[in-house]
Amino acid sequence: MNLNKRPKGSFGGINGSNITRWFFVLPAMAIVICLLVYPLMSTLVYSFTNKTMTKTTFKIIGLTNYMNVLKDPAFFSAFLHSLIWTVGSVLGQVIVGFVGALSLNRIKNKTVQNAFRICAIIPWAFPAIATAMVWKWMLNGIYGFVPTSLMNLGFTNEMLQFLSNSQLVMPTLMFINVWFGAPMILVNVFAALQTIPQDQYEAAQIDGASSRQSFLYITAPHIRTVVGLLVVLRTVWVFNNFDMIYMITAGGPAGASSTMPLYIYDTGWTGMMVGKASAASMLLLMFLILLCVLYFLVIGRWEKED
Amino acid sequence: MKRFFSMSLAALLLSTCLTGCGGSEADSPAGGSEASQQSGQSDNGGALKGEITFWHCFTQGVRMEAVQAAADSFMKDNPDVTINIETMSWGDFNTKWKAGITTGDLPDMSIAQNTGEVAEMLNADMLAPIENVVSAVGAERFSENALADMTKDGTKYGVPYYSHAQVMWYRQDLLEKAGLAVPKTWDEFRDAAAALTKDGVYGAGVSMSPNDLLCTRYLNYYVRSGGGSLLNDDLTANLTSDLALDGIRFWVDVYKNCSPAETINYTVNDHATMFYQGITAFDFNSGFMISGVAGNREDLLDSISCAPLPVMKEGDPYYSAEATHIPLVIWKNSEHPEICEAFIEYLFKDDNYVEFLSAVPVGMLPSLTGISELEAYKNNETVVRFADEASVITDAVDNGRAIGFEHGPSVQAGLLTSQGIIENMFQDIVTNGTDIAEAAKTAETRLNEIFSTQAE
Repeated sequence: MNLNKRPKGSFGGINGSNITRWFFVLPAMAIVICLLVYPLMSTLVYSFTNKTMTKTTFKIIGLTNYMNVLKDPAFFSAFLHSLIWTVGSVLGQVIVGFVGALSLNRIKNKTVQNAFRICAIIPWAFPAIATAMVWKWMLNGIYGFVPTSLMNLGFTNEMLQFLSNSQLVMPTLMFINVWFGAPMILVNVFAALQTIPQDQYEAAQIDGASSRQSFLYITAPHIRTVVGLLVVLRTVWVFNNFDMIYMITAGGPAGASSTMPLYIYDTGWTGMMVGKASAASMLLLMFLILLCVLYFLVIGRWEKED
Repeated sequence: MKRFFSMSLAALLLSTCLTGCGGSEADSPAGGSEASQQSGQSDNGGALKGEITFWHCFTQGVRMEAVQAAADSFMKDNPDVTINIETMSWGDFNTKWKAGITTGDLPDMSIAQNTGEVAEMLNADMLAPIENVVSAVGAERFSENALADMTKDGTKYGVPYYSHAQVMWYRQDLLEKAGLAVPKTWDEFRDAAAALTKDGVYGAGVSMSPNDLLCTRYLNYYVRSGGGSLLNDDLTANLTSDLALDGIRFWVDVYKNCSPAETINYTVNDHATMFYQGITAFDFNSGFMISGVAGNREDLLDSISCAPLPVMKEGDPYYSAEATHIPLVIWKNSEHPEICEAFIEYLFKDDNYVEFLSAVPVGMLPSLTGISELEAYKNNETVVRFADEASVITDAVDNGRAIGFEHGPSVQAGLLTSQGIIENMFQDIVTNGTDIAEAAKTAETRLNEIFSTQAE
């Protein structure tokens, strides 16, 4: 019997009606359309037009915006900076968060463990503007606490220009982002570590497994899915991060810290070329979708192996 | 199922296209004027009635309070009127109104950052005429230059709320200690700034954040002092003239020898704060310096003074490179332009106006004649104490126009300062060692690309 088939002219019940079930999903669909499909489609449409911020009318210009973006050296520079920023930040966050979680897991005293966990989460709980302003102030090349201390302690001969030197600015921003994002990895990995049955470690110990073997064959397989998902999420968030860099350096000096979101902002908001900015956004979206598909393929394989 | 989705998607795409391609409300004739002028009148003898939104950027306490007090008082006199005031930073203002063109989130009346921004607003066809206010207050009381900068096809679209101009500020104590005279030429300025760069003090800051306009401003000083312009007669950008290239070279030199390296990322506020705190010996700014120094290092107030901008060589004629009039404008979409007009007139009433100007004395100079003769204005302690400085700035206001307005009001002049392209050029030269002529050519091309996109 075909359950999807309903009597002609009838709305039927929940099981039998096509219309009824559409009513159930309508609110969710409306939200998705408003929050995702509409902006996405607007961006897609604008990317083929000469739309500017201050003009309400525009015309279709085909692939011109895409050609202009791909001919713009600033686009490739921003893309490269985005890759460096994302890989450096996510890798740093995972390493610091992972090591922190393993260390935390070794603490047996629950009170100390909880206190440490609360302290560790503090940087993540700060609003981005506060984080940016505090770091900007501490790293200021004229009176900042960090360069002044380094000089007074004899580590440097002059005030280090963390934010205005094109060689230092990107590593400095990545350091700040690691400081900011590592606690989130720490808390999640720590939660995953708590779910590993202790008897597996005990069995391994009885069988004479070393600490390294216990880690490789018990700990790692248990938490790799969680870490994988965190890496996917952090990659997308960090790649799209705008506020931190904008508030600290605004992409400077001379674009040395300009990433894709800043390039899009500069093109669309400052340069008012909404069409060109939309084309850059679509290219960024395609890249991120591709990246996510690859990540999920790997995670899917891990889950199957588990 | 698949068919349903593909049809929905197609319909959505089509509707998006139609929404985008179609004219918006902004295209339609200003609904505001006639119909709403009538609806804005209540039944009791033509009294004002309605609600307006006023955007301004006076986020500092005293100025904000003065405007709010005037609004409260106006609402008290007109009980059927509500004035909603929204404040935002100067930096956010430009972004907000430009986004508002698409989203429809625009005020009834607002300030503008300068007359160049009014040209941008006019280019977007967003403003309503303000002739009634000009007539009511008296056209002859406003600066002719200021009104001309906000006039299009013979119609005025803005009135200056207050005025200021760029002059050279210096620390008298440091100059005296070094046995130096107040510089009169650019070369003297550079030498003096270099000589004063020692013991934790820097001669002068050259700030280059693309989020602000300082490099454009500085380059404009130099080019204007040589009789040139950053715009050609056809309103294309001109950064590659010999004079402009000299100017770029000059300021890069000042940056390298007299400025903290950190200023490469500094905005106007960061930059001015250095002078306020005694970190720099020279700065170029308006009378706002006085309140800034008073707020940060009151002990330095007796040591600061200002002079006209340096000239190319001794004996060159006086010039003023940049005068700024902060305009008040009424937006075309306003449903109650009559309330906006009445409120602007109210802001210019002697008592209200003097109270507002007193929030930053000498920093905000009157845009109306006759105000500086009022006892309440001229007896202000700061006005008395800094009378010489006020006189220098007033001369610069009277003789100057906005950056790029030497060719008349144009959207290109506004874009020159709002794009950060000249600032990026300076950063590129300093950071990457890019050849000055090559960097200038690249920046000029980028500016012209934006000019052609925006000024169609």
